[in-house]
Amino acid sequence: MASPSRTEIISLFRSLLRSARQFPDYNIREYTKRRTIDSFRHNKTLSDPSSIAAAFSDGKSQLQVARRQAVVYSLYAPEIKSIMDVKH
Amino acid sequence: MASKILTTTLRRSLTLKTIPHIRPLSTATAAVTEPSDEISMKGVKISGRPLYLDMQATSPVDPRVLDAMIPYFVSRYGNPHSRTHLYGWESDEAVEVARTQVANLINASAKEIVFTSGATECNNISVKGVMHFYKEKKKHVITTQTEHKCVLDSCRHLQQEGFDVTYLPVKNDGLIDLNELKGAIRSVTGLVSVMAVNNEIGVIQPMEEIGEICKEFNVPFHTDAAQALGKIPIDVNKWNVSLMSLSGHKVYGPKGVGALYMRRRPRIRVEPQMNGGGQERGIRSGTVPTPLVVGMGAACELAMKEMEYDEKRVTKLKDRLLNGIRAKLDGVVVNGSVERRYAGNLNLSFAYVEGESLLMGLKEVAVSSGSACTSASLEPSYVLRALGVDEDMAHTSIRFGIGRFTTEEEIDKAVELTVNQVEKLLTNRFGILKKW
Repeated sequence: MASPSRTEIISLFRSLLRSARQFPDYNIREYTKRRTIDSFRHNKTLSDPSSIAAAFSDGKSQLQVARRQAVVYSLYAPEIKSIMDVKH
Repeated sequence: MASKILTTTLRRSLTLKTIPHIRPLSTATAAVTEPSDEISMKGVKISGRPLYLDMQATSPVDPRVLDAMIPYFVSRYGNPHSRTHLYGWESDEAVEVARTQVANLINASAKEIVFTSGATECNNISVKGVMHFYKEKKKHVITTQTEHKCVLDSCRHLQQEGFDVTYLPVKNDGLIDLNELKGAIRSVTGLVSVMAVNNEIGVIQPMEEIGEICKEFNVPFHTDAAQALGKIPIDVNKWNVSLMSLSGHKVYGPKGVGALYMRRRPRIRVEPQMNGGGQERGIRSGTVPTPLVVGMGAACELAMKEMEYDEKRVTKLKDRLLNGIRAKLDGVVVNGSVERRYAGNLNLSFAYVEGESLLMGLKEVAVSSGSACTSASLEPSYVLRALGVDEDMAHTSIRFGIGRFTTEEEIDKAVELTVNQVEKLLTNRFGILKKW
């Protein structure tokens, strides 16, 4: 498996954050953002090409899940938002 | 008189009929009305959906879990017990994968997992099933006073059938005394049942030590680990448990599914509580709900990956909550052991405050006074009473449940709202707010 380039990694990171923002649910949205940032930070020190590739492909599948679920969550979003969204 | 009754009923039926015209109740028209930011339910008005801090009652389904479940709701609807076609085979395969995922999280073999409808059913199979199976020789059960209602109720049921039950008391910190356990074991003891993490106060019992004692006296050990799964490391061999109850919806999985661990070596046997088609090796007949089981499996696999990360976060948030409240209020007591507890469950009592008004005033925070099963009654929790907590303090207990999706902002908000409400109640009670 070829190691992903820096641009590819940054693009994956941005895509994940973008789909995170699409969750209407306050808690899921914040979690997806936070988990994305923390995972990339945690994997920053990876140097072995195969583990970088593994982390990258894992991130890509997570992106697929996030994209699908952001749609599902929007379809069934409650009419009334969380008070955490109302007051800010 | 008869005509009067007639007119009254007539009028009533007429008004009832006219209601739909005045207030349309169909969802189609409700969607047209402009969205408001207020909810009114059960006479309480709140400006938005409350922030959720009741993770011990149930946890939200993780989107990654839902993603794994949806295919089995949509196109893969086969009965996992169908042997004659692809629909059955693919469902069966999914169920077996889930079984392995659950087994991996507790370091068991997939063959030792039986899927059920939830931890309550597991507890019933364990307590009643084991005792019924060995009833010729074993007549005695040991449990604790702070167990979940379903274990206690199963024990009551056994007592009515003539079995003997010892309800071990707990110390002030909610932990059992190991010497007392040793002393309670008799030659006819057929089961020791102690829960791993308490649902109301979050204390973690010394599982390895209890397992050690049970091994020494050769008594089967059952534990209700519904609140422990995915939160603290579980190893069925280290704990030496013969049976363990697990639940799907406490680990960000779906409701309505649970799993029972049953040791194979040495083998533990139970009498089934449900008879039928012989699914799950005859221990739990009834079609295995593929989507739910897949969800529970996915939730367990996720829990294994995320346990360390979640643990760090939950601990950080717990400290933030406790320090935040303690910085502003005095007379706040943590119920149960401070050292041996799961961080995501913070059970606090507030001195000099009336519990009911406190909870009623905290409508924007979804918390509970204890177990969801018993929170309808005004009685203080039997768990806190077993700890020897004062009647007053037991009445003002609030359980804050922190989980994977809780944020710092929510904690800050919860602190602010709780502090405001407690100060308001103190002012109402004592006139001026006394700084202690």
